[in-house]
Amino acid sequence: MGSLLEFQHISKYFPGVKALDDVCFKAYGGEVLAFLGENGAGKSTLLKTLNGDYQPTGGTYLLDGEEKHYRSPHEAIEDGVSIIYQERQILLELSVAENIYLGRMPSNSFGVINSSKANQMAQKIIDDFGLPIRPTEKVKNLSIAYQQMVEIMKAYSRENLRVIAFDEPTASLSDAEITSLFDIIRKLKDEGKIVLYVSHRMSEIRQITDKVAIFKDGRHVGIYETDKVSDAELIRLMVGRDLGDIYSSLDKDKQIGDVLLDVENVSSDYVKPVSFQLHRGEVLGFSGLVGAGRTELMRAIIGADRRRTGTVRLNGKVIENRSPKEAMQNGIMLVPEDRKLQGLLGNLSVAGNIDIASLEQNSNSIGIIDPRKEREMAEQGIKEFAIKTPSMDKKVLELSGGNQQKCIVARAVATNPQVLILDEPTKGIDVGAKSEFYEMICRFAKQGLGVILISSEMPEVIGLSDRIIVMRSLEKSGELPASEATEDRLLALGMMEESGNE
Amino acid sequence: MNNEKKKLTSFIGGDKIVLIVAVIAVCALFTFLNRNFLSMQNMINILVASSLVGMVAIGHTYLIIGKQNDLSPGSLAAFCGVLVAILLNRGLPIPVAMLVTLCAGAVVGLFNSWMVNQIRIEAFIATLVSQTIIRGFAYIICGGKPVAITNQSFNRLGTFRILRLPLPVWVMIICIVIFGFILARTRFGRSVYAIGGSAEAARLAGLNPRRIVTTCFIMIGVLTSFGGMLFAARMNAGQPAANVNLEFDAITAVILGGTSFAGGVGSMFGTALGIILIQSFNTGLIMVNVDTFWQYVARGALLLFALTSDYIRETRRQKALLEASMKNS
Repeated sequence: MGSLLEFQHISKYFPGVKALDDVCFKAYGGEVLAFLGENGAGKSTLLKTLNGDYQPTGGTYLLDGEEKHYRSPHEAIEDGVSIIYQERQILLELSVAENIYLGRMPSNSFGVINSSKANQMAQKIIDDFGLPIRPTEKVKNLSIAYQQMVEIMKAYSRENLRVIAFDEPTASLSDAEITSLFDIIRKLKDEGKIVLYVSHRMSEIRQITDKVAIFKDGRHVGIYETDKVSDAELIRLMVGRDLGDIYSSLDKDKQIGDVLLDVENVSSDYVKPVSFQLHRGEVLGFSGLVGAGRTELMRAIIGADRRRTGTVRLNGKVIENRSPKEAMQNGIMLVPEDRKLQGLLGNLSVAGNIDIASLEQNSNSIGIIDPRKEREMAEQGIKEFAIKTPSMDKKVLELSGGNQQKCIVARAVATNPQVLILDEPTKGIDVGAKSEFYEMICRFAKQGLGVILISSEMPEVIGLSDRIIVMRSLEKSGELPASEATEDRLLALGMMEESGNE
Repeated sequence: MNNEKKKLTSFIGGDKIVLIVAVIAVCALFTFLNRNFLSMQNMINILVASSLVGMVAIGHTYLIIGKQNDLSPGSLAAFCGVLVAILLNRGLPIPVAMLVTLCAGAVVGLFNSWMVNQIRIEAFIATLVSQTIIRGFAYIICGGKPVAITNQSFNRLGTFRILRLPLPVWVMIICIVIFGFILARTRFGRSVYAIGGSAEAARLAGLNPRRIVTTCFIMIGVLTSFGGMLFAARMNAGQPAANVNLEFDAITAVILGGTSFAGGVGSMFGTALGIILIQSFNTGLIMVNVDTFWQYVARGALLLFALTSDYIRETRRQKALLEASMKNS
């Protein structure tokens, strides 16, 4: 039979995040194994640990009984372990054959490359795959789907290919293209390869996979035979508990007031003109796919990206917001999506991170900081948001992801904003901390703030918002009260193909 | 666990203690090789020789914490020496000549920050550009020949002593104290650390990274200019070919002092120790008659040593963070 891949007690830590925690399971050749889990559950991290992109903090993995320690993806590929990523990893200027045999082009004893032989060999694989492309074609002239096929052929051309993993391979493929991809996956499976398949799309998992490995918060929950579990059960296993309860127990008793923020036709280089209004005490959800332009819209509003068109009014008064600093002074604060790169100041302490936006408030007229005021502010933030830290002088990176995020929220709230924009505030945070954020968001609204909540997790948007705006392809595609929102409707608004555009 | 104790030595004290030990070790070694090394006169000589490097290193401390760099100070110091010499010889009063020269330093800083902020050139390359251009101008304004300074009261600035220490040393010490205070205790200083940690995060938190970078470049320009003038006063001449490799020594001092090339980490106290260390080293090499050519090799080796220890510190920091976060999560 086929190969056997065993993960034994694999763990991987990053500062503040347990990305993988004691993962043990086996994958067999001749079957397609899906990796299923929420964002940040550890699926991609596991793949990267497998192919040597990351080194595991603990544990080992065995391929056909042999312990492996790949030091780089290159080493893994040479040993027959390939990963096909969402982003293409091929050289667009080279031909199909050159890409397939990159670094090992057939050559004579002087090292001169024999292109025609490479083309012949490539043609054989292309025929095997049944694709209508020529080996001499430059890859940049191929469609995205065929570019991906070239990558798969590149992996396949290795005699010793044993493991091939697909990380969300269908994200940018059409239905017909997906069908032909699946044909190839079946072919690989029939040849006894171990096929790993990461995807969020339940229908695809049903269609192509034999078993599902479920991940949650970096732990491996279990392996299930795909046709023996229902969707609902899979989701329950992924999420760990019924989130419905969390939302219904939230204190949403509040008053929604007048229009606080009025955004009219705001656009930038990265987003088309969008208009919306935010009321005092309201939680306004923004739903849509990743890349739909939600973050970009917010960045245009606060002046992080240059605004092309449109006006922003706060309490009826036009405000400019030429920079995030001006937006802050006007009372609009963003908690960014990318905590590590755009939120945290990893070199500073917990206190330093909470206080950084309030330097003016905590210093005198010539700019000398009052340490007492700073400590008071940090103390209050730690208390108000129940930040778990041994002391305010701890480096912020020593905290868990959820507590790091709380520091950034505390920083934003310390500036006394009227509008708080939270961009994926619970991304990569465990379920326990998530519910704390949910309570926090409701509390802000109750205090009369206008809260904008961007989230890709639909239950979160539906459960927390009063009103939901859906974005698609860099513009607004719909708006509905939360009471009328269902996951299906949000998905339909967020994903529907634009007619005649492509 | 003796966690608290460990934290105290490894995070704050540790690096500095190592540094102080290193200074003592270097002094002991050279004293062993040459008795005169530890003499009062030699100590003062070391401080005098370090005064220009010190001024530049103060500026570099800000820049490197803010994840920038500057390779132009050597040229700029020479240019400013020549410029002030020419202005004085034209009969301008000392304060006016000095003020004009300081402004020239500020303009160079502004130019450097413009390249970094507006045309988005890496600081290393951008300031390599200005290094060459400014060196060119240093030769151009004096026709390639050193300019002797005839204004004796200006020359006295280089040798005038207060409590046995010459004025340039006092200027350096005062600048270290003032700029150390600014770095540690003011809004601006904190902002420099923040942009060194993550410029984008700092911007979204309401800071203005470009303005902070500009200020840092202007600061190092002015400090270098001041140092360059005092150097010229000491030499009684403005020399267009002088101060080559000045930035090299300054950067070495800053890195030795525990400021990380990764940005966001460092202190002025560390830099002060680094300045003493590198100048003791350089003076020591001369005193024990190390061949000039080998001195270059030794200095290179010292910077390599500084960078290696910076790397080790950084990996340790990361590891400590990792362990701590494992415990906390």
